[in-house]
Amino acid sequence: MTLGLVLHLVVWHAYHGAEESAFEHATLAFETANPGVSVELVAVPFGAYSYKLEAAIPHGNGPDLFVGKSNGLQEWIDRGLIDAIDAEVDPSQFVSGTLPPLIHHQRLYGVPLAFKSVALFYRRDRITKPPRTTDELVAIAEREHAADRCGLAYEAASLSYHAAWLHGFGGRILDDNNQPALDSAEAARSIEFVRMLANRHLIAEEATGQLVTDLFNRGECAMAISGPWFLSDIEADVRFGVASLPIVSSTGKPAAPLSEIEALMLPARSKTHAAALNFALFLSGKDAARLRALEGRQTVATAATWQLDEIKNDPVLTAFYDQFKLAVPMSQSRALQASWEPGQRALRRVLRGDVDAKRALAGAQAEIVATLRPAPPPAAKLPFAISLFALGLALLWWRQRAQPEVAFRSQPVAYVYLAPAAVAMGVLVFVPFVVGAAMSLFDYDGVHATFVGWGNFGNILRARDTSLFSPLSFYFALLVTALWTVANVALHVAIGVALALLLRSPLLRLRGVYRALLIVPWAVPNYITALIWKGLFHKQFGAINALLKVCHLEPISWFAHFWTAFAANLATNVWLGFPFMMVVTLGALSRIPRELEEAAALDGASAWMRLRHIVLPLIRPALLPAVLIGAVWTFNMFNVVFLVSGGEPDGSTDILVSQAYRWAFQRGHQYGYAAAYAVLIFLLLVAQTAFGRRMSQKQAT
Amino acid sequence: MPLRLCESARSMATVTLDGVGKDHGKAQILGSLSFEIADGELLVLVGPSGCGKSTLLRCIAGLDELSRGRILVDGRDVTQAAPRDRDLAMVFQNYALYPHLTVRENLAFGLKMRKMPAAEIAQRVNDVALLLGLETLLERTPQKLSGGQCQRVAIGRALVRTPKAFLFDEPLSNLDAALRTQMRVELKRLHQRLGATMIYVTHDQVEAMTLADRIAVLRQGVLQQLGTPTELYERPNNLFVARFLGTPEINVVDGKELMQKQFMATLPDRAVKVGIRPESIHFVADGKPARVDLLEQLGWESLVHLDCDGVRLVARVSANAPTVGATVGFKIDDRALHYFDRDEKRL
Repeated sequence: MTLGLVLHLVVWHAYHGAEESAFEHATLAFETANPGVSVELVAVPFGAYSYKLEAAIPHGNGPDLFVGKSNGLQEWIDRGLIDAIDAEVDPSQFVSGTLPPLIHHQRLYGVPLAFKSVALFYRRDRITKPPRTTDELVAIAEREHAADRCGLAYEAASLSYHAAWLHGFGGRILDDNNQPALDSAEAARSIEFVRMLANRHLIAEEATGQLVTDLFNRGECAMAISGPWFLSDIEADVRFGVASLPIVSSTGKPAAPLSEIEALMLPARSKTHAAALNFALFLSGKDAARLRALEGRQTVATAATWQLDEIKNDPVLTAFYDQFKLAVPMSQSRALQASWEPGQRALRRVLRGDVDAKRALAGAQAEIVATLRPAPPPAAKLPFAISLFALGLALLWWRQRAQPEVAFRSQPVAYVYLAPAAVAMGVLVFVPFVVGAAMSLFDYDGVHATFVGWGNFGNILRARDTSLFSPLSFYFALLVTALWTVANVALHVAIGVALALLLRSPLLRLRGVYRALLIVPWAVPNYITALIWKGLFHKQFGAINALLKVCHLEPISWFAHFWTAFAANLATNVWLGFPFMMVVTLGALSRIPRELEEAAALDGASAWMRLRHIVLPLIRPALLPAVLIGAVWTFNMFNVVFLVSGGEPDGSTDILVSQAYRWAFQRGHQYGYAAAYAVLIFLLLVAQTAFGRRMSQKQAT
Repeated sequence: MPLRLCESARSMATVTLDGVGKDHGKAQILGSLSFEIADGELLVLVGPSGCGKSTLLRCIAGLDELSRGRILVDGRDVTQAAPRDRDLAMVFQNYALYPHLTVRENLAFGLKMRKMPAAEIAQRVNDVALLLGLETLLERTPQKLSGGQCQRVAIGRALVRTPKAFLFDEPLSNLDAALRTQMRVELKRLHQRLGATMIYVTHDQVEAMTLADRIAVLRQGVLQQLGTPTELYERPNNLFVARFLGTPEINVVDGKELMQKQFMATLPDRAVKVGIRPESIHFVADGKPARVDLLEQLGWESLVHLDCDGVRLVARVSANAPTVGATVGFKIDDRALHYFDRDEKRL
């Protein structure tokens, strides 16, 4: 019981189900064999996995070892998150093809545990012999297709799934130099093929992972394309088989899925490398690998395991093994990471029938190139610092001149009273602001910062990477944001004032009840409202399309077109925003003496005239500041845009602030670029507010 | 000069109330009132707060709806008409000037709403401004005016339209005492000059007495008496009216007590209360003795509080006020006595 001498290892993974329990059992075996080491397995949710790693490792809070995927390798290495493995590893110990994806500049960065690629699942009760070619696939799908059934289900709009067809048709995502190569005739043909499947209703519409699982389990599709992780989702009573994806009939090439390697990786600067490596080698060793393969149904990377009879005779595992031999290893490059989103968008557009494959791919290609745009050249710091310093001095002098705070100087105790608020403001507002503003002058990916001066601003304002009318351009987003702000504020004011006037009507009963009800949209947290509205606008299950159907109108695919998506966002934000204007108006109305309107009534003014000439002018002073604040809120209303339309279609409904978010977190960590966006947003808002204040001052005089 | 205004103001009209009543829920606010305001008359509606006088005025204006009865302006039934179709103008207690408009725009508002040609509007606004001494204030907004100036603008806004009748809802109650007296005189003069039909609501009996051609005293929505100020003062219909008009208030003494204490020899039948105006008590050397309890000096006259054998009386004397504590002799002018029966009605 020499507890103090036990070495403690923390290992992160994203496994669940059978894979997780096999992993746990293998770990137990390790602990039995190595009494001096205790291993703590931490299951980190898949969705947050890389964020957690990126956040924890640089601060020393990371694990001692983690299960990572080969396709994230280059970025992790670039950002200094993982260390190479210095020990000798015998290549013959592993299935061929599992090591190269883990090698970067001749150094190995992980001990491979398993390889993963998708393959074709088929229900044995429906299909005796899996299709060998796409023609056979189509034939089977045609046969299986019925009103409530389809032949094949898979996430057709996902580029990682589509890659198999892409390769089969001779296309590829990246060329040999890791440059985007989506814009090709082969790629177009592969998408046309899928579109044909969709048009003939041979594949499930708008399929998500969950939908594929459900359809396959219920027998509503005969085939599915998925990976080994799908095994644990299939219900026990379903008899199924796994086969390699078919050969594309028109090219004679196999549909080659992307493959990735799961490996144990060493976080940078961890002090337990030796012990962690020991654990990694144990897990990739024969015994642990057997356990993982048999219990966890993993397609393990350990070569010896595949010699075992019990594995060799397992038709499912060997099917994946065969498929892996044909698969295309995923590139480690950032360019691949940058391709997922644009590729998915292009697929969705084509499947929706918005554009032809060629144009969609060209758009995706341009978007990928824009995302990968080279950083602005480094700039000299000194002249920049001098000019900033001078600017600061000038500002200080101007402030000094403008306000000789005599009262302050004569009452030093005032500083003490103000200190807590000043500190809070400083920490919560001023420091982040300065840091953010400073970041805009750097090319910064979270690890490496290069000073580029106005480079980011230059790139944004010259819109060099994209066409001016591309949704990715600053000016397009600015136009959308302006439209968004004006439309919202106008509707907020119109509806808010109208409801306030109605609530004031002496004929209205239960006024308090209505007022409370109308304030509710304001009181509910806005992201909840946004999610509810997104649900309302859903094409298949949304209440709004259901209403349209009741009225014998065509259901609308709300997020497929700019104006309908914009309208959906607008409706949500109007719902969120009118109560504020209504409350402000109610307050302003309550300060208008009743006699004023009575006097006007006697003066001969009709109800409309009284509204126009007496009521509206009198609530204007109260409404103007509210409009100013509302305009700022709307300008930066990230939640609604991000959650309702999510920028759909094609990022065209994104406003500046959601674009900034995407540049920071969804397009390869371009924090400096995003910070420059934020600074521009700030300047725009300053200008807008100054203009508004001048307006209201003019009004006051 | 605003002659034109005076001329057009001559086309004034009668206002007739025919069984007018108003309820609020089950409570009756106005009983059944029937009387006529004559052409060119200034009628004051007076009564304590809550007596329904303001409600009546608002009903005439059309701001409140009647529960029963009819209102006629110049013979035309306007009971169902909207305020703007009644051709009446109203001056509110708190002026109700449009705060976002200048004085000129305030004055012109009603004319504009009635689509009068701009030239005529300008002419009329200038005339009214001249009449009320507002010429130098025309470009100001109401915030920059004193209370008296606001009041003048409010009156001007009513005048400029030359309506059939003017309605005043306690227009002077927000002014200080000195200004109130001054404005009272100005209003009186204005009425004399224009000869317009005016209905004027106040709770201030001095205002009522000084301004009115006739006074209508209301109590809990019921008309107590309608008549000229002199009629009301000299022959009050009931104890309430007698008490309401006159400063200091009329002395009211129990009739029996007066008999017992030998203030007087006889009492008319059914007389229960006796009202004695303070000015009808005279000091005479051989009169009934009383002790001076308290003295209120007003300069030109004094109010002497007397205690005579337990009966307290207030006398108004113009000179030679006695000292407090002294015993004086007094007598009551028999002809000035007011007798009231058990229901407080005049005998």
